[in-house]
Amino acid sequence: MSHDTQEVSANDAHARGPLLLLLGSGLVWLVISGVLALIASVQLHTPTFLASCAWFTYGHMQALQETAFVYGWLANAGLALGLWVLTRLGGEALRAGNWVTVGALFWNLGVTLALVGIVAGDATGHSLLQLPRYVQPLLLIAYGAIAVAGVLAWSGRRNEASYASQWYVFAALFLFPWLFSVAHVALFVVPMRGVMQAVTAGWFAQGVFTLWLAPLALAAAYYVVPKVTGRVLPGYQFASLSFWVLIVVGAWTGGRHLIGGPAPAWISSLAIVSCSLLVFHYFVVWLNLKGSIGQGGAVMKFTSFGLLAYVIGGCADAFTSIRSFAVITQFTYFTQAQQQLALYGGISMLFFGALYFAVPRLTGKTWASAALIGGHATTAILGVLLLVISLGVAGWTQGQALLKPAVTFPEIAAATRPWLLLATAAYAVLLVGNLMLVVNFLQTLAAKPTVPAATLFQATSDIKETA
Amino acid sequence: MKNGTLFFLGLFASFTVSFAVVLLANHQLGALTPYFDDGEGKAFPDRMPGVAARGQLVYRDLGCASCHTQQVRRPGFGADQARGWGERQSVARDYIFQPFAQLGTMRIGPDLTNSAGRKPSALDAEDLMNLLYAGQGAMPAHAFLFEQVKVTGEVPAKALKLTGSAAPAAGYAVVPSEQAQTLVAYLLNLNTVYDYPESRPVVQAAAQAEGAHK
Repeated sequence: MSHDTQEVSANDAHARGPLLLLLGSGLVWLVISGVLALIASVQLHTPTFLASCAWFTYGHMQALQETAFVYGWLANAGLALGLWVLTRLGGEALRAGNWVTVGALFWNLGVTLALVGIVAGDATGHSLLQLPRYVQPLLLIAYGAIAVAGVLAWSGRRNEASYASQWYVFAALFLFPWLFSVAHVALFVVPMRGVMQAVTAGWFAQGVFTLWLAPLALAAAYYVVPKVTGRVLPGYQFASLSFWVLIVVGAWTGGRHLIGGPAPAWISSLAIVSCSLLVFHYFVVWLNLKGSIGQGGAVMKFTSFGLLAYVIGGCADAFTSIRSFAVITQFTYFTQAQQQLALYGGISMLFFGALYFAVPRLTGKTWASAALIGGHATTAILGVLLLVISLGVAGWTQGQALLKPAVTFPEIAAATRPWLLLATAAYAVLLVGNLMLVVNFLQTLAAKPTVPAATLFQATSDIKETA
Repeated sequence: MKNGTLFFLGLFASFTVSFAVVLLANHQLGALTPYFDDGEGKAFPDRMPGVAARGQLVYRDLGCASCHTQQVRRPGFGADQARGWGERQSVARDYIFQPFAQLGTMRIGPDLTNSAGRKPSALDAEDLMNLLYAGQGAMPAHAFLFEQVKVTGEVPAKALKLTGSAAPAAGYAVVPSEQAQTLVAYLLNLNTVYDYPESRPVVQAAAQAEGAHK
């Protein structure tokens, strides 16, 4: 896949402004969501914390941190990396860069308004769609402006052959606005009634992960791994099948959260079957990208951890959707552990890896501090492991206790408290790591280039020196 | 995938099919009507009174659904019945008059589907007010839903009867705000006591059918 022999091309310089704006604003939201997650996490074991004001209820903090993380950090970073991969593989300079800049400004304005709205009590109450209904049209238009550049990069590609990364980005660019607009109409414009709201919201939330964030993260991984390892991906002929399995059955798995509830049983049964079908997708992703495991360098540390978390998270979804598991884990912290494993361990870590790869090429400068990169890698890996394990154990304890009618809720709270304290520590560790990334990013932007950009990356494997 | 148009159409078809699953469910549930019981001479579920409907907005705005579910699972699947959350599982018909169904995803606190019809005894208005004001265990205090007023003359009828450390200073009383009153009215309206034909446990119906054959 190394058809562009020049590691730093004029194309990158052209895309620098808009893409660094997206990445930079994503990083700001990453830190904000980290602080909010820390507050929400403290409230779980210390309910008196910030309890004196209606603005800071746990419900609000949880909605705020999720919105800032998904629509602030993951959306900005995912779009930036997706566009970058498309322009690089297309072999043409980024077109409609101004549209990206304007779209990014309005997208971030929309996310800011959404957070203010949630604090004021306008959250919708649907997981991964807490955005108040009135900011949703603004976000959709802003997204459209950013995506124009992606569509032009695909349609105007110079290299006729298309790669897995391109399919994934192109699919993500289109699928999100479709999902988002259909969910907006079905939930807020002509709202469906009662239980159907939960079914639709479940379909949307699953779609956000499997049809938007996962494709963007996989696009980044499919681009970065062969670049860094300098090897052809094994089993690449299965990648297109794996792609279509994800796109076709991905959103069907949304009903697994409704097991045993008031929705018709066929919805959750369909979801359980789809979860098992998706295991094929995870298997092929593993087959294609396992070459990244054990490779040196920070980019590969993040990418291989992200890959492992993505595959393990997918298999965990398939296991816990089975009814005899779901009866324990449903409605517990275990589901939060799974969500964090997928969104933080999987998607976010793959984005970090690609970000460490892309920024030196976009700026034409090496990272300002190798120590900060190492620090971030250590804290991120440690933080995610600690977070997923502590929430998982807390959830399992909670789930077992809920099955025993004699155990009261204060007793459950006491039993899960040590693990929730550990989860708070994990959020603190993650926040420290993300601050290191922000400092490093800002220092890199401010630094003067010391060597000419063209000599910075002589061979593909030279990334180890810089990252 | 060199053919861009075909690729695009494939994406669109996949997306449409996935939404068709939602539409299929809507076809099944979207037109549910209230169930008219000849014996009782009225239809179920009841519409919520206005004050309770406003209370549901408070419930949604505060994000109560982050810790409380409103969906009882079927008997034999979890301990929902044993915990007294409801004699039967929730069915789609329970929610048809709710503009914002609050099914919830977490049980950090108890399920509230049937909070007013709970056996052996449900919390009454006074219990709920005190619980909201002072909190209990993992449930945070929601003191911001109440006002401290200076008592001049008679103590307000709505004032909470508080003792111990929660009691206000002498000469003051704690009265619920309108938000707290509507929220409590909402919680007192949540019940799924009526048993629809579709909400009866499948196991029981099967056992009866088997008995009929003998």
